[in-house]
Amino acid sequence: MAKPIKNVQKQTITAEEKRSNDLREVEDALIQNKTAILQTLEIMNHMHDKGILPLLNGLFGQGDKVMDIAVKAMDKPENTNTLKNLLLLLGTLGMINVKQLEPFLLKIDAGIARVAEYKDTEEKTSYFDLVRSLKDPEINKAVTILMQFLKGMGQETEHIEKTTGNSPQKRINQSKGKTLE
Amino acid sequence: MRCQNVLYVNFLGKGVNHLKEFKIIINGTERKAVQGETVLNLLNGSPDQVPHVCYHPSLGPIETCDTCIVKVNGEFVRACSTKINNGDNIDTNSDEVREAQVIGMDRILFNHELYCTVCDYNNGGCEVHNTVKEMKINHQSIPFEHKPYEVDQTNPFYRYDPDQCILCGRCVEACQDVQVTETLTIDWERERPRVIWDKDVPINESSCVSCGHCSTVCPCNAMMEKGMEGETGYMTGINRETLRPMIEITKGVETGYGSILAISDMEAAMREQRIKKTKTVCTYCGVGCSFDVWTKGREILKVDPQIEAPANGISTCIKGKFGWDFVNSEERLTKPLIREGDMFREASWDEAYNLIASKFTEIKDKDGAQALTFISSSKCTNEESYLMQKLARGVIGTNNIDNCSRYCQTPATMGLFRTVGHGGDSGSIKDIEKSELVIVIGSNTSESHPVLATRVKRSHKLHNQKLIVADLRKHEMAERADLFIQPRAGSDLVWLSAVTKYILDEGLADHDFLQQHVNGLDVFTENLETFTLEYAEKVTGLTQDTLIHLAKTISQSKSVCVLWAMGVTQHMGGSDTSTAISNLLLVTGNYGREGVGSYPLRGHNNVQGASDFGSMPDRLPSYEKVADKKVREKYEKAWGVKIPEEPGLNNHEMVQGIHDGHVKGMYLKGEDMGIVDSNINHVHAAYEKLDFFVVQDLFLTRTAQFADVVLPASPSLEKEGTFTNTERRIQRLYQVLEPLGDSKPDWEIIRDIANRLGAGWDYKHPSDIMEEAAQLAPLFAGVSYERLEGYKSLQWPVAEDGTDTPILFKEGFPFEDKKARLFPVNWTEPVEFGEEYDIHVNNGRLLEHFHEGNMTYQSEGITSKTPNTFLEISPELAKERGIKDGTLVRLSSPYGNVKVHCLITDRVKGKEVYLPMNDSGEAAINLLTSSYSDKDTDTPAYKETSAKLEILMEEGVSPLPKTNFRYGNPQPQVGVNVEKKWERKDYIFPGDAVKKERNQHG
Repeated sequence: MAKPIKNVQKQTITAEEKRSNDLREVEDALIQNKTAILQTLEIMNHMHDKGILPLLNGLFGQGDKVMDIAVKAMDKPENTNTLKNLLLLLGTLGMINVKQLEPFLLKIDAGIARVAEYKDTEEKTSYFDLVRSLKDPEINKAVTILMQFLKGMGQETEHIEKTTGNSPQKRINQSKGKTLE
Repeated sequence: MRCQNVLYVNFLGKGVNHLKEFKIIINGTERKAVQGETVLNLLNGSPDQVPHVCYHPSLGPIETCDTCIVKVNGEFVRACSTKINNGDNIDTNSDEVREAQVIGMDRILFNHELYCTVCDYNNGGCEVHNTVKEMKINHQSIPFEHKPYEVDQTNPFYRYDPDQCILCGRCVEACQDVQVTETLTIDWERERPRVIWDKDVPINESSCVSCGHCSTVCPCNAMMEKGMEGETGYMTGINRETLRPMIEITKGVETGYGSILAISDMEAAMREQRIKKTKTVCTYCGVGCSFDVWTKGREILKVDPQIEAPANGISTCIKGKFGWDFVNSEERLTKPLIREGDMFREASWDEAYNLIASKFTEIKDKDGAQALTFISSSKCTNEESYLMQKLARGVIGTNNIDNCSRYCQTPATMGLFRTVGHGGDSGSIKDIEKSELVIVIGSNTSESHPVLATRVKRSHKLHNQKLIVADLRKHEMAERADLFIQPRAGSDLVWLSAVTKYILDEGLADHDFLQQHVNGLDVFTENLETFTLEYAEKVTGLTQDTLIHLAKTISQSKSVCVLWAMGVTQHMGGSDTSTAISNLLLVTGNYGREGVGSYPLRGHNNVQGASDFGSMPDRLPSYEKVADKKVREKYEKAWGVKIPEEPGLNNHEMVQGIHDGHVKGMYLKGEDMGIVDSNINHVHAAYEKLDFFVVQDLFLTRTAQFADVVLPASPSLEKEGTFTNTERRIQRLYQVLEPLGDSKPDWEIIRDIANRLGAGWDYKHPSDIMEEAAQLAPLFAGVSYERLEGYKSLQWPVAEDGTDTPILFKEGFPFEDKKARLFPVNWTEPVEFGEEYDIHVNNGRLLEHFHEGNMTYQSEGITSKTPNTFLEISPELAKERGIKDGTLVRLSSPYGNVKVHCLITDRVKGKEVYLPMNDSGEAAINLLTSSYSDKDTDTPAYKETSAKLEILMEEGVSPLPKTNFRYGNPQPQVGVNVEKKWERKDYIFPGDAVKKERNQHG
């Protein structure tokens, strides 16, 4: 006569058995991953020597608090502005064509060297000297370059600006031929 | 991307060849197009693809987002709702068009804050995120502005964050026109519109049935499953107080969305490392919904239905979408249990297997193989059903094998075998959807087969489908019906036969069909003589006018589908009534084509498959008869054993066999038979008499409490295999989680037991089992795991080359002369318990619980909304007896009694009460039911139950909390009412805005 029963006697493992099972599991894992584990230990040693481990320990131990403080510190207008400027500068730097810039920079450098040489000069330049010096091929070249530069500066750049342009019409121009990835 | 592919496939599937093709011009280039196609669909997947946010392939154009604007023949239009005409000139990329699209997107971003990296919805599928990227938008002209509403967290399963809501209306469209619960609307009248529930109440106090459609279709994180919150991202679990300043910083420093989106895309890619998405098939009813389950470790984040899921598409019900907590329940069995005195002792598998093998052998040696019995489960896989019957027949040597569809749909199978030859739905859910007339008999479809019901509700609401409902109870389908009839309990056969007779007598039958495809008309007509309109009126209580109206409606409809369930089958004449339904369909020619046929709705995920794969006492897989020598020989040769020729015992006979003393042992898996069989006091008494009883289940169920050995099984999410749904559709499930503890998939347990008994089975994977079954069972000849990969499915019969059969009988009926048979049946009067038992106790399911609730009560959310069962009492009866909401009553039948709290509702009338089956204690319905059963199949006559009612305690708390959807107040409308949005003073169509601006400047 099998009456319905609800009592279940759970299989109990002694603390000893559990410990030895757990140890065996850990041992197995160690053996299976021997090389990786030894290398990791070496890295951890270095990190300890350099004081990185205690630092991380503090950071992770108080993770939520640290994160909260950091986030709140960052969330101030001057800080967000700094970040924003940095990001904008980074973006702009990416657009400069270094190949084109190099000869220009070399020329500026030469100019600076010349200035350094003449920095103490008492010589004065008259209006006529200025006109005459246009005949000097070096000066003439420099003036031509500067004039081209000024022309470039005056060009329309609105379509590639990142910080302006908020009407749909303007933004279509912005995104033309570009991807966001 | 996936959606687009599927869309393309669907589109091709619609039969491009039949439609007119013509030429159009897109951005100056000529292209071919098909009549009726929308501009958006035409462009999808092509280089000229336009952005879109509110459009969803399963919902169609909603027209709220204005991001898909194009110019057709010089006019600005929405691509999603504009159909292509011959010679159209379409512009998708001029500056004007792009400008209009950007205006649309700007308005979305005014409503939605982009904090993607710390958003739980940033998993690669966010459509707002992806569209911003696609449109290369870097800034917005109108900055995001918070809406003056709080997040609604009241529902236990999903939340609504108005601040993130872009007002696309997909959720409303899904709720109104796909699920058709009609709870959600957008209030366009407010300064800041938002989605509202009913007449603007908190979600949890509304008519919302928590089906999850809204969170499934939401393109962003506004309507989101709570399982996702704080779980999916690496940084989404951060405290709210820290998160807010983080979002502000990100916004403060952003130099354009490009960098934000790039970082969030990287983070989304990282999430793939720890979130697993696995396809599975739902186990909560026979509809066979399939979906991806998102898991992180053992945690279930969400259920994500896919457009390509063949039975359900994007649809789910509360159980399938949110009812999986039981998988991780602490009450799960994790080790085999062995009875020892008045205790179960946890044991090793070895010990349990050895005990089972020695006891089975002992009983077989002493009392013979026929003293052992096997019960398979309609919750388990096809492979497991096949193995269980193979264990019984091939290893033990008995045909004593059955499954729990004996409790529900075996009579329907019988009715169909008699008349049309295949025991399954004649078509697919799609056929029900497109039928002109749907008749629902004895089926509470919207609660028992919720997703299938949505298809009927939708066709009825939007596509003029007619709906006739015959039931005792005024459930949701009855409320919606064009004609609701309430024949006397158990009298369906009579009105069906009278209607059939009238149709024949009046010459309304489909004579061509009868002549070409049907045998037995004369004998059948003769037998119908009794069923005159007068007789039917007297027996059923339906007026003759109603009967004539029914006959005319049915015979005039071009396509008719009949859906039926337990209200028909669980009677003494259940098989006969099922036969009468099939007879009526034959007489009116409603077989063998699209949109017609008989649909006995299968109640569990694998009611169909459990029988298909041979867990029946008289039939081997593919319904081949055990009595057939040739069939036996085929299996004997394959298995290398002798199979007994006498059919075995069914469930009902097994219980009787124990009482009679010739059944000594039982092996039962996946069925709480001690609660779900009728007259359970009688069943429990039988269990107590067994010499040896093995029960295999997830929990220590009521049935398992009687066992000598309890084996811990794994649920569907922890194993592989296949299920066959009500449409005869075979679908694969993949393993989502590892088996919990030491539990094992059922097929492994059966294999191991067989091997302890010396079988030498070598199945390494369920696919090995299917391969064997497919070789032996003709219906599944072409079934293989490769052909069922992912969301692919096959509807049997499946020919060897893999051709399946979505619609049965197109090539005739599976009899020798290919003709169906009209099968004469007579009415069996329902059981009367005696005059003192004056209350008729109807019984059945509730939407939110599965059966007795072993699984669904494990969900905190479901339990909070429906903590227990209740007794539905009519206002008339309540008044007569002085019953209020919460009154505690006792119902007593000659077989037992229940104690339950009352709920007064007009869903029932007069002395008819309804007791849902979700209780395994003092209110368990089967304490009242009898052992009377269907005369042809022994399916218990659950529905023929009467009782007397006594009040135990007049005052009590209502058993149904106010947070239950039954108190809700739905607000039906078609779609999202976008016209209301367009009527707003602050709305200007982006195309007009662009034109205006151009005129000003130009």
